[in-house]
Amino acid sequence: MKTSFHKPALLALLCTGSFYATAQDSDDWQVPRTINGHPDLQGVWANNSSTPLERPEVFGDRPELTAEEFADLRAQAAEIEASGGDALFGDGFLNAVITGEVQSYDPATGNYDAAWMVDRNLENRTSLVVDPPNGRIPPMTEEGRARMQERAANRPGATDSYLGRPLQERCITWGMPYIMAGYNSYYQIVQSEDTVAIIQEMIHDVRIVPINDKPHADERIELWHGDSRGWWDGDTLVVQTRNFSDQSQFRGAGANRLFTERYTRTAEDVLEYQFTVEDPSTWERPWTAVINYTASEDPIYEYACHEGNYALMGILSGARAAERNTQSN
Amino acid sequence: MSKDPAAASWPASLNISRGVGLLQAAALSLAITMLPFNAQAQSGDIPRTADGKPDMNGLWQALGSTHWNIEPGAAKAGPDFRMGANGAIPATLGVVQDGPLPYTPEALATRDRNADDWAALDPVGKCYMPGVPRANYMPFPFQIVQSPEHTVMAYEFASAMRIVYMDQPDFDGPVPAWMGHSRGHWEGDTLVIRVTDFMPYTWFDHVGNHHSDQLEVIERYTLENPNLIRYEAEIRDPETFTRPWTLRLPLYRRMEENAQLLEFKCVEFAEELIYGYLNKNAPADRVPPRGMPFTIQEPVTQ
Repeated sequence: MKTSFHKPALLALLCTGSFYATAQDSDDWQVPRTINGHPDLQGVWANNSSTPLERPEVFGDRPELTAEEFADLRAQAAEIEASGGDALFGDGFLNAVITGEVQSYDPATGNYDAAWMVDRNLENRTSLVVDPPNGRIPPMTEEGRARMQERAANRPGATDSYLGRPLQERCITWGMPYIMAGYNSYYQIVQSEDTVAIIQEMIHDVRIVPINDKPHADERIELWHGDSRGWWDGDTLVVQTRNFSDQSQFRGAGANRLFTERYTRTAEDVLEYQFTVEDPSTWERPWTAVINYTASEDPIYEYACHEGNYALMGILSGARAAERNTQSN
Repeated sequence: MSKDPAAASWPASLNISRGVGLLQAAALSLAITMLPFNAQAQSGDIPRTADGKPDMNGLWQALGSTHWNIEPGAAKAGPDFRMGANGAIPATLGVVQDGPLPYTPEALATRDRNADDWAALDPVGKCYMPGVPRANYMPFPFQIVQSPEHTVMAYEFASAMRIVYMDQPDFDGPVPAWMGHSRGHWEGDTLVIRVTDFMPYTWFDHVGNHHSDQLEVIERYTLENPNLIRYEAEIRDPETFTRPWTLRLPLYRRMEENAQLLEFKCVEFAEELIYGYLNKNAPADRVPPRGMPFTIQEPVTQ
C-alpha cells in the first residue's frame, strides 16, 4: 500500500462522480452484508481525495465546482503531475491547481517529491467541510486560541529536543481521526459480530470499536486516540469517541472534544466517511466534514515508523553538529 | 460417531478427560454420545461464529513470566538495585517443549551475549514491535477480531498489530515486517497461522533468545473452552537452530466486566533512552543506545 517508488505514474485521475453514476445506474446494488447480517464495510479503503478540508475562499458558498471548472481542474491536475515537482499532500493539491503555485511540504529540504504521491481521487467538491455551509472550520474561541499559544510557548525549540518535533515525526500518532490524504492514507475495516476493527496503515494503529451498550472507559483513562463506542443506525456505523489525552492533537482541539463518525457504504467501491467534532472550548460551533474513501485492491503494509526512525536522529544530530560548527568558528 | 473419547476428532472430550478421573470421563463421553446432534456433541462448550468456526473474538492475555524467559529458570536480581524486589526477575517454568533450545554454536554465543546485556539490547525496551510469537505472551492483552477472510490481532504493547489473511496460501509477504506476514487456515477447530517474512531484529524474550530473517513460525490456536486458547508455536529457522522446536502456553480471556484494549504507545517512554544523548545540553549520562537496527554516533567526526 505504501507508495511505490518504482511507479512513476502518480495521478490517475479518478472521478468519484463516475462512482456515483455507477451506483445510481444499477438500481439493484444493495449494501452487502456480513455473515452476521450487518452492513459489510470491510475492505481496504483509500483516502486519496484531492479536495481540501476547508473551502478556498474563491468559491464562496458553492459546495461544488461547475462542469467547466471541474474539467479545468482535471486538466491542470494533469499538468501538475507532468511537471514532476514536489509532492502535494492534503490541501496542497487543489490549492496548487487554483493558485497555479506549488507550495512544497518542506521547503527547507524539499524532502518529499512527487514520487511519494499516490493516485489522487479528483472530486468536484470544493471542501471536505460540509457544515458550516461556508465549508470552513468555525472561528476559534478565545480559550482555544489561548491554549494553542500556550502549547506553542511550552514546546522546546524545533531541534533542541525530540520533544520539539511533531507527534508524527516521533512516530507516536498521526491523530484520530487521521484525515490527511497523501501517503499511507489507507484503512482496513474488519468486522466481527460485536466489534469493528479500523486499521490505520499509518503507524499500524488499530481502533477497536465495540458495538455494544457498555459505558465508556473511566474518564481518568486518557488516550491518544480516545475511547470509542459504536452502534448501527440503519446501514450506517456510528462511532462516538471521547477521553482524549491532553497531549493528543486535532487542529488545536482540547482534551474534552467529542467525535461522532458515520461510516456508510454508498457504492461497491465507495465508503462515505463523515465526522462531526464538538468542542465548545475550542470552536464556536461543531463542524462536520465528509470524505469519500475509495476501495483499494492492495493490502495494508506494515508501517514500522519508530523502528526505522533514523530521520529523527539525523535531525537532532545535524542540529548539534551545526552548533559545534558555530562555536568553533 | 466414535466411541473412543480419546479419538483425535474429539478435542472436547479429550480436554475434559484431562482434569477428571477415567470413570467420570467415560460417563461424560457417554453423555455426549447420547446428544441428539453430532455437531453439538463435537462443538463441546465453545462458542462459534456465524460461519461455524470456533469464536476467538475478544481480549486475551498470557499469564505468568514467559516473557522473561521461554526456558526454565530461577528467580534473579534485576538490573537496577534501586528497584529492589520490584525490579527482580521471577522464576520461569519454561514453555519450550523439546528440551534446551537447539542453537547452532554461533547462535548460542549470540544468545549468551544478549543475556549478559539484555537491559540495553532487548528490542522491546526501545518500544519496537515484539514480533511473533513474543507479542502473544508480552504482559499486555491483545484483541482478536475474526471475520471469514481476515483475522486481526491488535496488541496493546506498542500498538503492534497483525492481519491474518485466511485461505490465501499463495499471498506472499510484500515486504519484510517486524510482525511478519500471517497466512491462516482452519484444520478442524484449530486456527493454524504460518508467519513468514520477518525482520531479524526481534527476540523471543528478555534473556535474548533470538532468530534470523529465515524465521518461520507455525502457530496453532485451539479454543478449549470459551475462555481458554491452547496456543502453540513451532519455530523453524535453520540459520539459528539445528532443528525446529515448539513452545506451548495457554492464553486466557480477560474476564473483567469492563475489559478492553487500552493504549501502551510506548514510543514516548523510550525516546529519552534512544534520542536523549542528542538533545541540546544533554546530561553526561545520556549515551548512544546500543542494539539499534540503525544508529548515528555523536559526535559526528568531521
